[in-house]
Amino acid sequence: MTAAASAIPASLPRGRSLGQDAWARLRKNKLAMVCGVVLIAIFLMCYLGPLFCTYRLDAQDLELKATPPSAAHWFGTDEAGRDQLVRVLSGGRVSLNVGLLATAVSLIIGVAYGATAGYLGGRTDSVMMRFVDVLYSLPFMVFVILLTVAFGRSMWLLYLAIGAVEWLTMARIVRAGVQAQARMEFVEAARSLGLSNSRIIFRHIVPNVLGPVIVYTTLTVPAVMLLEAALSFLGLGVQPPNSSWGSLIDQGAKSMETYPWLLVIPAAFFSVTLFCLNFVGDGLRDAIDVRSGKD
Amino acid sequence: MRLNPLLILLCALLATVGLTGCGSGTMDAKQGAEQKILLVGNGADPRFMDPQLVNSTSEHHLMIALFEGLVAEHPSRDAEVEAGVAERWDTNSDKSVWTFHLRPTAEWSDGVPVTADDFVWSWRRMLTKSLAAEYSQMLFALKNGEAFYEGKVDGEQLGVKAIDPKTLEVTLVGPTPHFLLMILHTSWWPVPRHCIEKYGDALDRVNPWTQEGKMVGNGAFTLKRNLFRQVIEVEKNPRYWDAANVKINGVRFYPIDSDSTEERLFRRGMLHITTVVPLDKIPAYRKNHPDIYHQDPNTAVYFYRINTERPALKDIRVRKALAYAIDRQSLVTNITRAGQTPAGGIVPGMEGYPASTVFNFDPAKAQALLAEAGYPGGKDFPKFEILINTSEAHRAIAEVMQQMWQKHLGIKVGILNQDFGVYLDSMSRIDYDIMRGGWNADYLDPATFIDMWTTGNGNNNTHWSNPKFDQLVKDATQEGDGAKRFAILRQAEEVFLSEVPAIPVYFYTRSHLVHPAVKEWHPKLLDVHPWKHYELLSPPPASSMDASWNK
Repeated sequence: MTAAASAIPASLPRGRSLGQDAWARLRKNKLAMVCGVVLIAIFLMCYLGPLFCTYRLDAQDLELKATPPSAAHWFGTDEAGRDQLVRVLSGGRVSLNVGLLATAVSLIIGVAYGATAGYLGGRTDSVMMRFVDVLYSLPFMVFVILLTVAFGRSMWLLYLAIGAVEWLTMARIVRAGVQAQARMEFVEAARSLGLSNSRIIFRHIVPNVLGPVIVYTTLTVPAVMLLEAALSFLGLGVQPPNSSWGSLIDQGAKSMETYPWLLVIPAAFFSVTLFCLNFVGDGLRDAIDVRSGKD
Repeated sequence: MRLNPLLILLCALLATVGLTGCGSGTMDAKQGAEQKILLVGNGADPRFMDPQLVNSTSEHHLMIALFEGLVAEHPSRDAEVEAGVAERWDTNSDKSVWTFHLRPTAEWSDGVPVTADDFVWSWRRMLTKSLAAEYSQMLFALKNGEAFYEGKVDGEQLGVKAIDPKTLEVTLVGPTPHFLLMILHTSWWPVPRHCIEKYGDALDRVNPWTQEGKMVGNGAFTLKRNLFRQVIEVEKNPRYWDAANVKINGVRFYPIDSDSTEERLFRRGMLHITTVVPLDKIPAYRKNHPDIYHQDPNTAVYFYRINTERPALKDIRVRKALAYAIDRQSLVTNITRAGQTPAGGIVPGMEGYPASTVFNFDPAKAQALLAEAGYPGGKDFPKFEILINTSEAHRAIAEVMQQMWQKHLGIKVGILNQDFGVYLDSMSRIDYDIMRGGWNADYLDPATFIDMWTTGNGNNNTHWSNPKFDQLVKDATQEGDGAKRFAILRQAEEVFLSEVPAIPVYFYTRSHLVHPAVKEWHPKLLDVHPWKHYELLSPPPASSMDASWNK
């Protein structure tokens, strides 16, 4: 016994978990890391920045009108003399909120739905996936607009509405993964132990399809933010005096020749955020999904 | 699914700058001038093309091309009319009975003559309750007009008679010296009975007779194409009695509801006349393009209609508080910026009728009124919304209102944006809290701003009703003396302002960009420019915009 114990050399490298492995790989991806840092900076600015701003989101100074960026107003002011810095930052908070919350909604619905369909299989699976196909065939934008009209124009319902149409792809991805896993021995073992279906799905199968899910999630966030921007652009998103990047860009675009800063600054924030989210998503996919290798 | 990051970036950039473009027209201003086709921006798509159902300025622009009343708009003078379907007219000494002699050459665009019977039939149709025309009440000026509308008398007793096919006798409820100006309005125009009845029921608001290929009119132009959201095209009507003097071959009306899109089209040389000028561009145009930028006084008022049945807004003190809490001067100098004047009353100043000054900016009084109504400092005030139709200017104004009410009264207000058609529907159904409204004079007289607020008037849309006010309006129609009549109207306006069913904001000016190729464009107080008088010069004279047009 003691011999066996001493047979393990002290210098033996410690085993690494899957997570640690992924983190190590991610750290090597410079682009993803830089983008991650930028993202964190933008998040901090948007969520904490407005607390330190001297101006209020809706405080107007009609005499001042639109002024270019200056020492008093770093991002300039809009036509009603409102400080653009605080409007861009709190607009970012709305856009990021939409991105995160709507993605969370799509994640919850998509994973539960896809896993159930994939595990149960047979007729249930067919019916459930045909339902997804039907929803897929609806024009995406029209569907969201209908939901907003039906629910009313509350911000929270907008998050839900976007999430509710974003879960379809997620459901398909999860279903495919679960179908593959469901035939494995460890699932048979779990079943022979008499575990309930829901416990098998969520405890044993879902953790195994987490890779693609995480990756797809990071790609959903920017897609959702684009959708919110489009809705705000159409006047269905946030309501004045609140702002989001989409609504700021919409208004900025209308006076872009006279007051270019009203368009350029929110557009830059928006583009940089989307850019970073995509690279972080790419990096995560490479890091987590061992089998995908290099591409 | 994997999204290409670069593709996303590209989409983001496109979303920011790309969505502002618009459908390409097939004709630019120069080609238009060559072919004598006038290209004009026209705000929104019309809801109706029936002269008896229209009620917006963009619809009015179409109507003056397609139809004509007894008398027609003078190209440059405000208080005068030109002969239209009627070539001459007589009136009795107190101007309560008018006889119109229709010109023998007046015909519909399908060759059927326009007769006195057409007018009798049209005015009866206008006064039929089930047509639900917003402007029905305007014809209450006719003797027995109201009684006929209520179904108390039959058509024979209505104050309009066809003496013979070309002579029309009109009897009014009282002396009406401004009757000729009044009948410039579309609600008095004839509609083609033979065409309407061919395509359906005369009282069906969606009767298809106004569609392209079906519509018959009697104006200087006929409908050629009506492409929803794209263009409405009219062409010269060869059967029009004055066709020899119509110098252009047609007009294209573009429904563009974005001020900045319209301006951009004009700058690209795609339009001859714009309906508005974007607020942010006014100073630059005024300075750099004085030959292009036209800013004219306009007898019209911008106001906020109030649904007087909504909780809190029911209370007159609350409505007054809202009215006193607006710094109108700051709004017009800093936001609208085209020489508008603050509106203290609902009637713009006119000759013999200076504008009222009841509502000034008085935050202390506003706060006191609000406290009296039970909402000190805006406490527990129910949340309500300002309804606007899509336009950068309305939005900018609404955001300023929102902020002023929040700052001075502590009231939180939302802004609800609707497409013009939906907005008009919400207005007719009185489904709003507070909505932006504008009223352009239908004829040059204070009554046009006052009549509309009588009980049940199709243009009231506030649920507001006051018997004293109704009586005063009625009294005014019986008064033949101009000064006395104005005094009665003034009393009516004061009753109105004491209960504020609508908050006056400012009196309009109109800003247009007009291409140098356009000749015979004259400022008009009512902003109605009859198309038949226009000329187009080809090649267009040099102008300060040539640099951007010749690129």
